[in-house]
Amino acid sequence: MKPIISVQDLSKDFKIYRNHQGYLGAFRNLFDRKFDLVHAVDGVSFDVQPGELVGYIGPNGAGKSTTIKMLTGLLVPTSGTLGVNGYLPWKQRKEYVRKIGAVFGQRTTLWWDLPLTDSFDLIKHIYDIPENIFQANFNHFREILELDPFLGTPVRSLSLGQRMRADLCAAFLHNPSLVFLDEPTIGLDVVAKQRIRDFIQFINQEMGTTILLTTHDISDVQKLCERVLIIDHGKILFDGKLATLLADFGGRRILSVEFAENYPEINLKDAEVVRRDGNQVVFSFERKTISASKLINRLSADYRIADLEVQNQPIEDTIRQIYEDQLLYNHPYDKKDPAS
Amino acid sequence: MRSIKLLFHLIRLQIRSQLQYPVSFILEVISGVIILGFYFVAFALTFSRFDNIGGWNLGEVAFVWGLAEFSFGTMDMFFSGFDYDAFGPMIRRGQFDQLLLRPANITLQVFGSRFVLRRLGKMIEGLAIFIYSLSLIQVDWTTLKLIYLPLLVISQVFFFGSLFIIGATTTFWTMERLEILNIFSYGGNEVMSYPMHIFPRPIRMLFTYIVPAILLSYYPAVYILGKTDPLGAPAIVSFLAPFVTAVMFWLAIRFWHFGIKNYQSSGS
Repeated sequence: MKPIISVQDLSKDFKIYRNHQGYLGAFRNLFDRKFDLVHAVDGVSFDVQPGELVGYIGPNGAGKSTTIKMLTGLLVPTSGTLGVNGYLPWKQRKEYVRKIGAVFGQRTTLWWDLPLTDSFDLIKHIYDIPENIFQANFNHFREILELDPFLGTPVRSLSLGQRMRADLCAAFLHNPSLVFLDEPTIGLDVVAKQRIRDFIQFINQEMGTTILLTTHDISDVQKLCERVLIIDHGKILFDGKLATLLADFGGRRILSVEFAENYPEINLKDAEVVRRDGNQVVFSFERKTISASKLINRLSADYRIADLEVQNQPIEDTIRQIYEDQLLYNHPYDKKDPAS
Repeated sequence: MRSIKLLFHLIRLQIRSQLQYPVSFILEVISGVIILGFYFVAFALTFSRFDNIGGWNLGEVAFVWGLAEFSFGTMDMFFSGFDYDAFGPMIRRGQFDQLLLRPANITLQVFGSRFVLRRLGKMIEGLAIFIYSLSLIQVDWTTLKLIYLPLLVISQVFFFGSLFIIGATTTFWTMERLEILNIFSYGGNEVMSYPMHIFPRPIRMLFTYIVPAILLSYYPAVYILGKTDPLGAPAIVSFLAPFVTAVMFWLAIRFWHFGIKNYQSSGS
């Protein structure tokens, strides 16, 4: 199948200017400015097939937003090629954006002072959506997203969760073939997050819409995306199944022990103490190095134990560790992992 | 064409939302008329101590004053999307990006992004001063003058509108540095300098005060009111306003498109 997004060696540099100071300096700035070059996106390549739901994750400042801005045509790349939906986004803006949707969790696409119904009506006009398609989609979405209670409310008076649901509805009304979702669950509570995830899943599975999801919340990715792209310092570090990543790096487990007496010093081979609070001690160990039962045997041979519990390390911690310890650097991943 | 329809649709919706509380809206307009009108009343009282200043009597000055106020109010209503007070935050909050993501003409979308109906206050005030001036002076109306007057108002509107567009465009550069910081930390920097400052002061003065005062107010008034120009400029100078405006507006739009291109390749 022909990929819907095709990105090759994409780079974006920013010039950060160092300004001259003072009145004379302000004038000098017009002609003579010195700058530092920042490689926000640095030689990124990937393809997305129609119908995929891909998670695009990475720490702050990794280059996620810059990539999305290039993909949506808001920014012109410094070098590299990209084709989305058969268009060159920044060059064919109007034709291109007609066929895509975008939701930025931090900002709304709706009209601040207008009631929600007016915003949707405007979108119908802007995208020339035929009445029957508009009605079918709108009725469908408002039911899933439960928009009815605040359809008459201006956007400025909506709660974050309500606004997000409204924005999601707006982004899909014109049957886009591709939608970019940038942090759609940011700042939301568990219930609201779940509702939004359900909607995203529904759209992807029932309508076959291709979705590129940028998020900080790894559980979004875990629940929605089979394939994940990890970017850091402007480079793609991983492109494949989340499960593959977790199998390789998610091997750490947590052993919480309550000792029967207070031991001044506790030594346990192959495990490290993460936290200690009186008789309560939390160890962490590598699944590959030692099994839980062996570790417990070793521990109970030397100490008296009152209670214990073994857990897998939470997935958030694994991902954070991958970022912080830069575990993906020099890791022999084939970046062209055929996830699709 | 579709974009023009969209523009009217946007304006209609904003008028409706601004008229949601009609009493408060009307009070706002009336208080606008009164406050702005005070400046003129104070000026007229001072003026009444002299018979004329530089050969211009109160009625003639009110004629020029009223026209300029009316034009500026009209401009401020239609061009308020380009007002740097509104456009700067629009870029900073990413709303301009949202407009770029819509399949419609970007310039018309900015026009439609803000329509401040309460500028009617300034328009009414200007119109009142203008009508008052006609009660003081005897204008020798001809067909040409009656055609030129509305053309002059349109010229003034678009000339000041061009300045608004140029001012908005400069924010693409002044915002740049702040926005790059935003890539690394969400949450905008609220500090922004007056964007026109990227132009040297004499150029700013020339286009914000001197050109509009001389070519768009003084000389057209010399013609309509039948004054003699002490500087003895040729009569054609009185008719330059529409041409100067056309050039200015063309330049403003060119600069605006250049700014957008720059914004897409380096900014945000």
